[in-house]
Amino acid sequence: MSDAKKIMTIEEKLDLTKITTDHNHEHITINPAICKEKCTTHDCVYGCPADCYKFTEGEDAEGPVSYDYIACLECGVCRVVCPHGSVDWNNPKGGFGVEYKHS
Amino acid sequence: MSEEHDFDVAIVGAGPAGCAAALVLARAGIEVVVLERGQYPGAKNVSGAALYGPVLNDIIPEYWEDKESFERHLTTKKITMLSEARSMTIDVDLRDFNQTPYNGVTVQRPKFDRWLAEKAEEAGAMILPDSMVEDFVWEDKQIVGIKSGDEILRAKLVIIAEGANRILTEKAKLAKQPHARHYAVAMKETYELPKKQIEERFHLTGTEGISNEILGHSRGVPGGGFFYTNENTLSFGLILNAKSLTEKKLKATEVLEDFKNHSYIRKLLKDAKMIEYSAHMIPEGGFKHLTKLYGNGVIVVGDAAGMVLNAGLYIEGINFALESGRIAGEAAKKILESNDYTKKSTKIYKNLLKESFAYKDLKQFKRAAKFLETERIFNHYPELINGLFYRLLKNNGKPREKITRAAIKHILKRAKLLGAIKDVFGGLNSL
Repeated sequence: MSDAKKIMTIEEKLDLTKITTDHNHEHITINPAICKEKCTTHDCVYGCPADCYKFTEGEDAEGPVSYDYIACLECGVCRVVCPHGSVDWNNPKGGFGVEYKHS
Repeated sequence: MSEEHDFDVAIVGAGPAGCAAALVLARAGIEVVVLERGQYPGAKNVSGAALYGPVLNDIIPEYWEDKESFERHLTTKKITMLSEARSMTIDVDLRDFNQTPYNGVTVQRPKFDRWLAEKAEEAGAMILPDSMVEDFVWEDKQIVGIKSGDEILRAKLVIIAEGANRILTEKAKLAKQPHARHYAVAMKETYELPKKQIEERFHLTGTEGISNEILGHSRGVPGGGFFYTNENTLSFGLILNAKSLTEKKLKATEVLEDFKNHSYIRKLLKDAKMIEYSAHMIPEGGFKHLTKLYGNGVIVVGDAAGMVLNAGLYIEGINFALESGRIAGEAAKKILESNDYTKKSTKIYKNLLKESFAYKDLKQFKRAAKFLETERIFNHYPELINGLFYRLLKNNGKPREKITRAAIKHILKRAKLLGAIKDVFGGLNSL
């Protein structure tokens, strides 16, 4: 039990998962205006198991949180935890997105 | 309703629920199509995963003859309670579970779902992968088909088996916007470990396997860890209630790493190589938060309907999916016979489902979902019990206390008594 293994980052873990990105279509979008006006809790940042939601930095950010759909695992947690309806959640088009081999 | 249709029944989703329904229908010679948004059935799906042999045997008799169908059959169940630096495990060895149809078997969903879909295909169902259903075709407040891209496919009856993300179920007006309290986020890691090492580490022979539920050490978030042995891989993961997680301002990914860093987990996963990371959502609202199960031209099965039970010792997802899917197939046969697709007729699905073990279990454990939201169970009690054993076993150079006295003193000092009494009664009542 002495093997103090290096903790893998979420990026390294996600590299193991096959995802076919649809570059012409973002299946999930957020509305930064709603986030800016209404949100104080940023539940999406905590709930997302792929860390797709991140706090923005700097004055010129559109909203408090940014979202990147590339690593999305299509779990749906962000839609469920967002109390303001800012997440426009859709599945990727057929054939795109995550493709599990073992799960 | 228009007389033209492409299929008798269109099923959305080729998971266990959709495939079970398709199998029943195809075997009866009914024209059925299954639309699957994934690259193949199972490509989008995640489970622990284990399911009951008898339930699968009902759908595919003597399934175990087909090596593709499962990974290992379960003979050992472990329940572990973790606290900082300590753990206690109940280890139940049931070698009588070595008999077919096996009490439980482990599966990997991309393999299992594909295998089940192939069985449905062999029976005559049409499975269409890469097909994302966006909406329905309505006529006079009745669903008469589905829309996928530019294509419209008309069917007499639609079965929604879309899984935990019940987008279409909401569009069919059978469910409202979901609430975070009734969902959990599940993260899973699959590890590779040579077969021989798995068998040595867990004392297994042949296709024997273990399952391990792990409570505690999840930063007080209701939920728990799971661990299963497969043929030459290990399935490990953590389930966390979405509402509690975000209220505590804890990141799911960080709670997982914390959990994994416990020496008990490190030992389970020692020398194993992670080969996949996955995540999924679990509806855990239980009986009270099932969706409407039928409407005009439509019925809902499996996770989409919220047919998942979390009652501590019993965690049922795939079993209920298979069972509700099979019953939906039987119901659809009767609905087609009646040639009436209004909800007066589709109600028969609910009536049949009410007689199933799935619905009865959900009803029986209807208070469990609420009880298992109690954070004390996931934080306080694993600490309490590990602390008690520490007190009993630690040598401090003094004469030993009487065990019963030490236990009573320890519990009185540590337990939040009113809460504990409430939990005992709550537990007795709901589980």
